[in-house]
Amino acid sequence: MIEDLSPFIPLSPAILHILLSLAGSDRHGYGIMQEVARQSEGQYKLGPGTLYDNLQKLMNQRLVDEAPRRSGSEDPRRRYYRLTSFGRRVLSAEVARLEGVVREAKLRLHLPNPRRAT
Amino acid sequence: MTRALYEWLLWLHPPAFRRQFAAEMLWIFDEASESEGVVALLLDGLVSLMRQWLLRSGAWKVAAAVAGGLLQVTAGGLGMLLLGHAQLTAFLAAAQLDGGWTENLRSAAPIAMSTLIRLASGSVIGILLMVIGLALWVKNFTERRIRDLQPRRNRGRRCSNCAV
Repeated sequence: MIEDLSPFIPLSPAILHILLSLAGSDRHGYGIMQEVARQSEGQYKLGPGTLYDNLQKLMNQRLVDEAPRRSGSEDPRRRYYRLTSFGRRVLSAEVARLEGVVREAKLRLHLPNPRRAT
Repeated sequence: MTRALYEWLLWLHPPAFRRQFAAEMLWIFDEASESEGVVALLLDGLVSLMRQWLLRSGAWKVAAAVAGGLLQVTAGGLGMLLLGHAQLTAFLAAAQLDGGWTENLRSAAPIAMSTLIRLASGSVIGILLMVIGLALWVKNFTERRIRDLQPRRNRGRRCSNCAV
């Protein structure tokens, strides 16, 4: 059975950044905010209101799930979130779409391919 | 002071959102108020409050339906009053021409009654339209809630072979 992910794509910038931040490991809300800022080198910042509005949407769509707490000594208000396997497939589909966009943009704008970091 | 203000902003959010995320948002406020800035967090809380009520909770649809209903009732009533007023003016002009004041004033009562009937019927039509609008919204809302309550495996996943 082929999954149709088109209803979820394209992702909004906030959702793309949230899913990307959860792709590496489970994180709590503040951790997601910090990771998004780090990934975008401070160019994109999420406030708690935007973050939880999107997290609610993502949990309703089953792209993100709540992860179990790590230890009992942590602040009980701190909750962890993780990317579901379905969320990972949606993120991969979005990344593939973005790769196509970048490829097309390079062709049209005659941009050179970036050099690989050594 | 600012923490209390932020707490109050969170308290004003829709109950479902507040129950799920308010404690965590307050924790982030405690953690990030120095690095992110209190003003930025308060503004974010304010935007979140408006977004949750206006866009996510669907309360704006009820407000729009009520406002639309009231507008219809007012417009209908005013329209009917204007119609009645035009009729009364024509009647008075005719009464002045033929000079039969007493007789004509006796027949003024049915005109006032007909104006009232028009006003009432205009209001009833307006209320009916409002009720129809609200019923449509409730139907839509209920269907969405039923869809939300479906088991996990049926939600959020669509396949090309599935029947529509």
